[in-house]
Amino acid sequence: MGRVEVSTRRRPALPRWIWPWLLLLPTFMSLGAVAFWPILEGLRLSFTNTSLISGSTDYVGLSNYVGLMSDGRFWNAWVHTVWFTVISTGLETLIGLGMALILCERFRCRGLIRAAMLVPWAMPTVVTSKMFAWLFDGQNGVINWVLLNSGIIQSNINWYGDPQTAMATIIIADVWKTAPFMALLLLTGLQSIPTSLTEAARMDGARGWMIFWTIRLPLLLPTLLIAGLFRALDAFRIFDLVYVLTGGGPADSTETLSTLAYKELFSTLEFGYGTTVTTAMFITEALLAVILCLWLVHTIRRVT
Amino acid sequence: MTTFKPQATAPLTSVRATGMDRRAFITTTAAGLGAVALGAPTRARAQGRKEISFASASFFGSETFGDLVKTFNESQDRITVKYLELPPPSSSTEVYQRLVQLLARRNGTPDVFSQDAIWIAGFAAAGWALPLDEFLDADARSQYFTGTLNACTWDNKVTALPWFMDTGMMYYRKDLVEKHNAKVPEQWADMVALGQAAVKAGDCEFGYIWQGKQAEVLVCNAVELIASNNGAILADDGRSSRIGEPEAIAAIKFLYDSMNSYGISPKDVLSWDEEPSRQPFTAGKSIFTRNWSYVWPIAQDPAASIIVGKVGASPLPHFPGGKSASCLGGYQLGLNANTKERDASWEFMSWLSAPEQQRRIALNFGLGPSRPALFDDAELNQKQPFMATLRPVFTNATPRPVTPEYAKVTLALQSGISKALVSGEVEKEMLALATQLNALVR
Repeated sequence: MGRVEVSTRRRPALPRWIWPWLLLLPTFMSLGAVAFWPILEGLRLSFTNTSLISGSTDYVGLSNYVGLMSDGRFWNAWVHTVWFTVISTGLETLIGLGMALILCERFRCRGLIRAAMLVPWAMPTVVTSKMFAWLFDGQNGVINWVLLNSGIIQSNINWYGDPQTAMATIIIADVWKTAPFMALLLLTGLQSIPTSLTEAARMDGARGWMIFWTIRLPLLLPTLLIAGLFRALDAFRIFDLVYVLTGGGPADSTETLSTLAYKELFSTLEFGYGTTVTTAMFITEALLAVILCLWLVHTIRRVT
Repeated sequence: MTTFKPQATAPLTSVRATGMDRRAFITTTAAGLGAVALGAPTRARAQGRKEISFASASFFGSETFGDLVKTFNESQDRITVKYLELPPPSSSTEVYQRLVQLLARRNGTPDVFSQDAIWIAGFAAAGWALPLDEFLDADARSQYFTGTLNACTWDNKVTALPWFMDTGMMYYRKDLVEKHNAKVPEQWADMVALGQAAVKAGDCEFGYIWQGKQAEVLVCNAVELIASNNGAILADDGRSSRIGEPEAIAAIKFLYDSMNSYGISPKDVLSWDEEPSRQPFTAGKSIFTRNWSYVWPIAQDPAASIIVGKVGASPLPHFPGGKSASCLGGYQLGLNANTKERDASWEFMSWLSAPEQQRRIALNFGLGPSRPALFDDAELNQKQPFMATLRPVFTNATPRPVTPEYAKVTLALQSGISKALVSGEVEKEMLALATQLNALVR
């Protein structure tokens, strides 16, 4: 009898099904603490007029959002952010694809070049920003010097001081920095395409472009879209390049949602309105992700 | 050798190299906490003493503010001050955040704090800073620069005690001014003429370099121009806008014209803040520039400047009928309204602002005194000869708009003025800005 008692005491008092959940609990808790709680708290703040300066924390319903819809600064930043995301992701995908196709071929020192290619991506963005500030400096920049001496331009271009070129310059810096990352992602995709397919096509007389358009590109498309999705979501948060290079100027021409949110949150300490900006940003980004994901699923179904 | 540091130059926005600043922020905060922890044992020793705390952005010279606090603690046996070190002034956004967090708790810590001139009205309006009128009689007030006292005043109450200051000023090339047989220009029109003549003669590339980046420094440039034309950004009570008035419009138009019709400034100034505009000047490319006092020692350093010994500094020019104005920066002392040791705190802060300590700060940190009388000090003038030049400049110190909504006002100003300078539609943009400001400060 005593023996039975011992064994019941040893047997877990909890039902079996609960164990997996119990073991998952720490994960849920840490995820909740670092991911879901901040999002919900941000959402809550966006319905208040919380301000560190006035000390107010009252619920104001949707009035922050109503204000946001009629705030010219917000829409200006929104348009810039979307524009930046579309153009930089597009260029990075194209250039990255080109780089990946080259690096996929066999040639001398391929390993070395593959490693060297990643240097721009590995560099801290603040360093990249400072570097581009010098390269595109309106007075002493190398870019102006080269363009002037090759006769492409007649006088120095004021890259960061002119609203026409400031955003373009930031996009160039971002493309330089992130195209190698795209190339890396696409290279893994290219390498997973069986060589037997391309060899068979070659036997049938297909040439380079034909192989690319009919075999490689369709098979690469899922990777391409996933890489594009990652990149677009990342590009949407563009902050550091703008912050270091132009601070949003001149004439608000490079203001993005992140820099606007930073100014609202940390310069004016208006947490209520600031989180409204970040929530609007989150919603736009979620929409972007959903559209790209749907397209991705659709494409993968078609290809496979 | 003067040791001016770029201080208080870009108070709210232009924090360069964010990563570094964050790190500096964390380490200094950690150091501050460490200091508090280490301070604990001394509490036991210093029984019977009143304990107060002092928070300040960390400035460095041949000593630190920690050394000042130590001197005070050793000089008497009634009060012990604990020093809470905040990030350096180059990370002024972080300093601001820390101060706001501390003061918003309303628990009396820190008892005394130093604050950038542009935060004073906000802290006063939030009820965090104690009005100091009862401590300061007319005689005590008369010993400070008027412009600095004005910046320390909100709602007709003095809520900060002037400490040390810095202002914008005009740097010029002595050799080129002499070459053209001219005087140092006192009016903007003279400066334009001289600048054009120097460019035409091939002496330099530009006539005048200023800072037009959409950042805090643009507001400083604008304040100087507008005030030198008898205009202002906000009315004296800080509750309505004056930037739509003809004086202000003409002043901003001058900045636009300097690039577009006078041809003395490159359009690159639209993307330049302090350092990018300092470099061409010390590389001998311009006859005039506007900047803060930190430029002086750099201009005299052969490793960084090709114009050593050829540079002069003077008050900025003004428009006909106006008078020179220099934008006021620097840190002033505040007394926490929730302090439990009012008199001890006042004793400490008035000690910090006393002539002897201001002199020490001028000598060891290179930070300009807010007491005009100190500029007659022989030792100071001998060891920091540049200080003598600063007296007329500091006399014209003009505060940026004094309003509790400054943080929002400055963002609107940066955006609106930048738009005016880019498009040239100055009047339209200034009128739009006036409407916007009226809504913010009403």
